[in-house]
Amino acid sequence: MTLRQAQGKKITGSEAVIKMLLHLGVEVIFGYPGGANMPIYDALYNYRKKINHILVRHEQGASHAAEGYARTTGKPGVCLVTSGPGATNLVTGIADAMMDSVPLVCITGQVAAHLLGSDAFQEADVIGITTPITKWNYQITNVTEIPEVFAKAFFIATHARPGPVVIDIVKSSQFETFNFQYPKNVHIKKFSAKGRSPSGRYDEEINKAAQWLNKAKRPYMLVGHGVLIGKAEKEVQKLMEKSGIPAAVTLHGLSSIPVDHPYYVGMLGMHGNYAPNILTNKADVILAVGMRFDDRVTGRLADYAKKAKIIHIDLDASEHHKIVKAHLAIKADAKDALTQILVLITKNSRKNWINEFKKLQKKEREAADRRLRKRNGQIRMDEVICKLSELTNGKAILVADVGQNQMFSARFYDFKLPNSYITSGGLGTMGFSLPAAIGAKLGAPQREVFAVMGDGGFQMTIQELGTIMQEKLPIKIIILNNNFLGMVRQWQELFFEKRYSFTNMKNPDFVNIAQAYGIPGKKVYKHEELENEMQKMRIHPGPYLLEVDIEQEDNIFPMMPAGASVEEIRLEE
Amino acid sequence: MAYTINIVAENKPGVLYRITGLLTKRKINIEHLNAFETKKNGVSQIFLTVDVNPHIVDTLVKQINKIVEVLDVRYHLTQR
Repeated sequence: MTLRQAQGKKITGSEAVIKMLLHLGVEVIFGYPGGANMPIYDALYNYRKKINHILVRHEQGASHAAEGYARTTGKPGVCLVTSGPGATNLVTGIADAMMDSVPLVCITGQVAAHLLGSDAFQEADVIGITTPITKWNYQITNVTEIPEVFAKAFFIATHARPGPVVIDIVKSSQFETFNFQYPKNVHIKKFSAKGRSPSGRYDEEINKAAQWLNKAKRPYMLVGHGVLIGKAEKEVQKLMEKSGIPAAVTLHGLSSIPVDHPYYVGMLGMHGNYAPNILTNKADVILAVGMRFDDRVTGRLADYAKKAKIIHIDLDASEHHKIVKAHLAIKADAKDALTQILVLITKNSRKNWINEFKKLQKKEREAADRRLRKRNGQIRMDEVICKLSELTNGKAILVADVGQNQMFSARFYDFKLPNSYITSGGLGTMGFSLPAAIGAKLGAPQREVFAVMGDGGFQMTIQELGTIMQEKLPIKIIILNNNFLGMVRQWQELFFEKRYSFTNMKNPDFVNIAQAYGIPGKKVYKHEELENEMQKMRIHPGPYLLEVDIEQEDNIFPMMPAGASVEEIRLEE
Repeated sequence: MAYTINIVAENKPGVLYRITGLLTKRKINIEHLNAFETKKNGVSQIFLTVDVNPHIVDTLVKQINKIVEVLDVRYHLTQR
């Protein structure tokens, strides 16, 4: 039966689910079959050529892969899992997506309607469990709800600030039949009742913002994930160029501005660059766009940006004044607001202010050189990332895990293209990188994708090597192996008198493991081998694992100790 | 400080849970709660009295307002 024929005909709930997914433009699903979603899987069998189903090895992998896909495509990532443990295994990925504003639609099977609440086999209260970590969730207990609920779910996941939604479908609704009709339009009371206009409502604020920025001596722009989500990269750069306002990015704002842009000053936050953190407290006007003043960015709040008038542009009004009291809060889409500000901004070069950044940048480079000289001869993480940046000309996608590997990737890769740095920023989920790289590669097949991780994170979702093998995805895996949980070890060294409590890891032979999955690999020990082995990895047509033996006790600097102010960021031990 | 939060929401399962979850995650206790369907079809009125720091009440209310089923939220200081 074709899609057109399906209109108005009696079909099962399961077929309706697949038809709605196709109708909503879904091309890829990350999933795992089980008792309570088998009817949907049976319906999917007929459409296996139209929808690319990726069989993961653990549902957590499905959620992170869906995140990776969403991050490279801007489309919602779709997961399909069974009830009970299938659904609970998704939880980490859903929470991760909630923190990082990633659109996901997670479809979970559920026990039959008459069994709900009876502690049936593989029953879990998925709506209850996922309520605090979703934008919206819904349990379908009547087959006729399927078309509207799916349309609504996709709308909510992508509307305004994106996020995850869960659709829990009881097994009985998957079997039942009904007269299928495509929903004509999505009816959501909240959005239809008020008729909120998306633009034009903040002219006064825009005028004021432009005035403040024009008059400012030391204006400073803080660019977050919202700029990438709202595709406002060009507007940010135009504003920087016209106004001479320097811009720094948050972890998730990385790659929104090319690193070689003359007004780009680096990354904010605990392990960000020296100048952008310190000079936050010298700025007289701060324009924060699509960022949420995360505690890792602000450091000690009592001493954060006290000299600045703060303009906060965010589509989510609940972020205004949540952490930092803004002097001017603008509830707007980044692209829309910046376009309007740009018209009112006067041309300026602000050389003196930019030079202040340059001076501190020099200081950071000198400290880095001193650290370089102290090295004991083993390969360090920054060397690997710098080499990767050089070889790929800054044009690859890096999917970083969590910890030192994440911060070295963020700091030493010279991003040239947007949406190129994918990581778990808010939740800080170790094990994110490998499965997220699967989704990233499927979303951006034409780009080189590197999954960069430590030995700890790799082993948290190592089973996804099986998915990579089965799908023959040419993902390049880089394991920065220091046989330590590096970031925790760094903190133990600096703040816990080197009491390395359970951070040392005895690891298996990772190259051998990869080879058992049919993924070739190589372990590198020497500096002089690194470039050659990286090139071999890059030209290999399929997936490849490169393990790099890293100096055990290396630290990432600059570093803002927990509870310190942005001005107290340290350059060295 | 005690605040009364007045919420108009779709009368659907899980809405109250989503609202109270925002209180739970900040360890805010509910002092008083009243929820009922209004005469308007499918719409509930929820009154919550909570003891919260004045610094966060505004954010809390805005977060409640983000809930898809919530149609309107207002709050005021309560004399106790």
